[in-house]
Amino acid sequence: MTRRSPLVFGLIGAGCALLALEAMHSKLMTPAGAARMARSAELVRRAGLTDLALFTEARFARNPALADLHTAFQDSPLSFEHFPSGTFAPRPAAGFGQGTLRFGTEEDAR
Amino acid sequence: MTPWVRRQQALADYTLAAMARRRVKNIGLLLIYALVIFVIASATLFSTALRHEAEIVLAEAPELIVQNLVMGRHDMISAEIIEELEAIRGVGGVTGRLWGYFYDRVNGANYTLMVPLDPKMVPPAGQALFGEALPRTRGLGWDTAPLFLSRYPGDLFRLDPAGRLSHESALVSADLILLGEEDFRAFFDLPPAVYTDIAVSIRNSREIDTIVAKAGKLLPNARLVTRDEISRTYQKLFYWREGIMVAMAGASVLAFAIFAAEKASGLSAEETREIGILKAIGWDTRDVIAMKLWEGGLISLGAFLFGTGLAYLHVFAFDAALFASVLKGWSVIYPDFRLTPMIDGVQLTALFFLTVLPYTAATIVPIWRAATADPDQVMR
Amino acid sequence: MILQVPILALLLGSALASAVALWAACFAIRVLRGWDITNGSGQQLALERATQLVSTLFGLVMLIEIAALFLFVFNADRMATLFVGAMCAVGTFNANAWGFPALTLKIAVFFAAALWLRLDRLDRAGHDYPLTRVKYAAILGIAPLLLANAAAELAYFLNLKTDVITSCCSKLYTPANAGLAAEMTGLAPGRALWLLAICGLAVALAGGAVLLRGRGARLLALAGIAFFLAALTAIVSVISLYVYDHPNHHCPFCLLKRDYGYFGYALYIPLFAGTALAAGVGMMRALPRSDSLAAITPLAIRRHTRRALAAFALFGAAVLWAIASSQLILFG
Repeated sequence: MTRRSPLVFGLIGAGCALLALEAMHSKLMTPAGAARMARSAELVRRAGLTDLALFTEARFARNPALADLHTAFQDSPLSFEHFPSGTFAPRPAAGFGQGTLRFGTEEDAR
Repeated sequence: MTPWVRRQQALADYTLAAMARRRVKNIGLLLIYALVIFVIASATLFSTALRHEAEIVLAEAPELIVQNLVMGRHDMISAEIIEELEAIRGVGGVTGRLWGYFYDRVNGANYTLMVPLDPKMVPPAGQALFGEALPRTRGLGWDTAPLFLSRYPGDLFRLDPAGRLSHESALVSADLILLGEEDFRAFFDLPPAVYTDIAVSIRNSREIDTIVAKAGKLLPNARLVTRDEISRTYQKLFYWREGIMVAMAGASVLAFAIFAAEKASGLSAEETREIGILKAIGWDTRDVIAMKLWEGGLISLGAFLFGTGLAYLHVFAFDAALFASVLKGWSVIYPDFRLTPMIDGVQLTALFFLTVLPYTAATIVPIWRAATADPDQVMR
Repeated sequence: MILQVPILALLLGSALASAVALWAACFAIRVLRGWDITNGSGQQLALERATQLVSTLFGLVMLIEIAALFLFVFNADRMATLFVGAMCAVGTFNANAWGFPALTLKIAVFFAAALWLRLDRLDRAGHDYPLTRVKYAAILGIAPLLLANAAAELAYFLNLKTDVITSCCSKLYTPANAGLAAEMTGLAPGRALWLLAICGLAVALAGGAVLLRGRGARLLALAGIAFFLAALTAIVSVISLYVYDHPNHHCPFCLLKRDYGYFGYALYIPLFAGTALAAGVGMMRALPRSDSLAAITPLAIRRHTRRALAAFALFGAAVLWAIASSQLILFG
């Protein structure tokens, strides 16, 4: 009866070891990764980039953080959700607009 | 060894023997369970690593971007504004940025053409720095092969490579063509003294809010985007992406929970007899429940370990091959990037909550029902 | 609401916990009305059977809630980047009015869970389930707490919006403000350390008395709770300064950040564990005596006293290490 348990515990142990190895791997990779990211960040700083080059399928998807000349609807009125990237970008959380009308300069300065 | 430990050990031994007798059924359950965990874990690991990378890399983006809006749309910004912005106290440097897109009819890709902010990085006239994906998608075989861009039929614009941007920064630079200002203006037929937008560097990050307010007053029509906003955009994007993935996987978790409940409540005749015998030889209901919890615990633990372990390999050794096509969409250019592995307690705990909890919740009542049945009833 | 995986996990956990709590509370009323272990009627048998399920389920829920506290705090720290002006978990909790109530309730649930699990273990150890009535009365008390916790958490997460302007810890933990946090911050570092030392001494004395003379378990519980409060005060008032090497940074949540080597966990985990264990010792002494537990309770009390003392000692060692390894000199 007890013959089974070494095998199963061995498998569980192997799973634990796999996860532990991976945790160790990620620890070992951290300095190299940080150095690589620092070099990317250096490129971002020197070139003055603002966005990741993840969504290149359409011009309006390339710079989600900025508005640009080539906004949605430019190709056709139906092109708003033309590309799959649209599924990944959330609706602005605060809704559209700031929610308040601002008058006067004191308020702006705050 | 305390009696408690000894008892648990004996229970584990018995459970394993019992599980081994129903090997196929348990292995099948384990595999499906591990698959469900694998999908969720892959999504979590992938998005956490991307989020981390975006956070670190975009921390060096310009502190403030000033964009001109005309009739609600982005428009070129005049160079005169640079001086106005420079006059604001606390502003370190103001530079006009030139960037634009080019749709390449040869391969259907969109490139981003840009003049680097740092003058030392600007390539000489007629030359350009290419992002990682460009030579790949245009089939530029050798390092010195020139790139020809055609803006309209019959047109050819030649750019000689001044170098290639490193492969390791592909995530920010895959589709970039960095070129000099004269070339850029000539290529897009752009008048002098206008820029796409303006990058403002601010020495003291605590003053960003004040300076944004002042710039807003100075240029009421402009759109001001701060570095924090850029960074938050990506944080939200990847949180959302991950959430959608997991919410979709939630359906499979639910299906799995129903499957597990079904399996646990429809005990086979053999299992029922086994429980009956155990109770007849003096096992307590508590012992039976503990044994069944051991069984569930072993299956959960095994599935969790292997699902997560494989997900790590999938994301970091095989570059999330199963997700790439989803993220890639219709892009011709997709950066060939390798993420730096990240694994932490929050991910693992959240994953554990999302997978083991439904399984346990689904199986515990059937387990109890089987365990409390009278021996004579079961054996009959 | 922010669609985020740890939030989904926490909401799933508290939804399941609430469902179990409601059902267990309904069952607890039946137990309190009709429980009689000497009765052999079918009704009592059915009740006894069902207690197995309820105890197992509720025990699992309690374990989950303990893990949920960790997830809740760690994730709040992680999400701070989404809010304007937030540096650490404080900003996330401050992002709407429900954050800190949810955290307080979670901590309350944590201690209730630790005590209830202890009670359950003790009850199962006695062959005639001597503590069943106490246990189910406790469920009736804990269930509203769990529901309130789930409600506060839901309200918090549903109202959570990114990009809102929240306040950073440096605005909350300054002596200039009014309120408890400011009071704690304003306490003189020397006095806070003395207070902590006195409470530590009380814990050590009470623990010693329990181990050597078998008396003073309730005192140990009281001393443990006093130590907990003194320790939280001291963390805000002085220990955080040493960790940050900064004379004015009082935040008890920034300690949990990676920048400070997750040092906060070395402080909070032993502190919470020690307090829960010490309170558990007091609770075991206060329980109604029964024959079946006469031999078991004293042993459990001694074992848990040892563990509580060890946990507090770990906390003390972490504090001393923070002070010794710091560049900051506050005294002398």
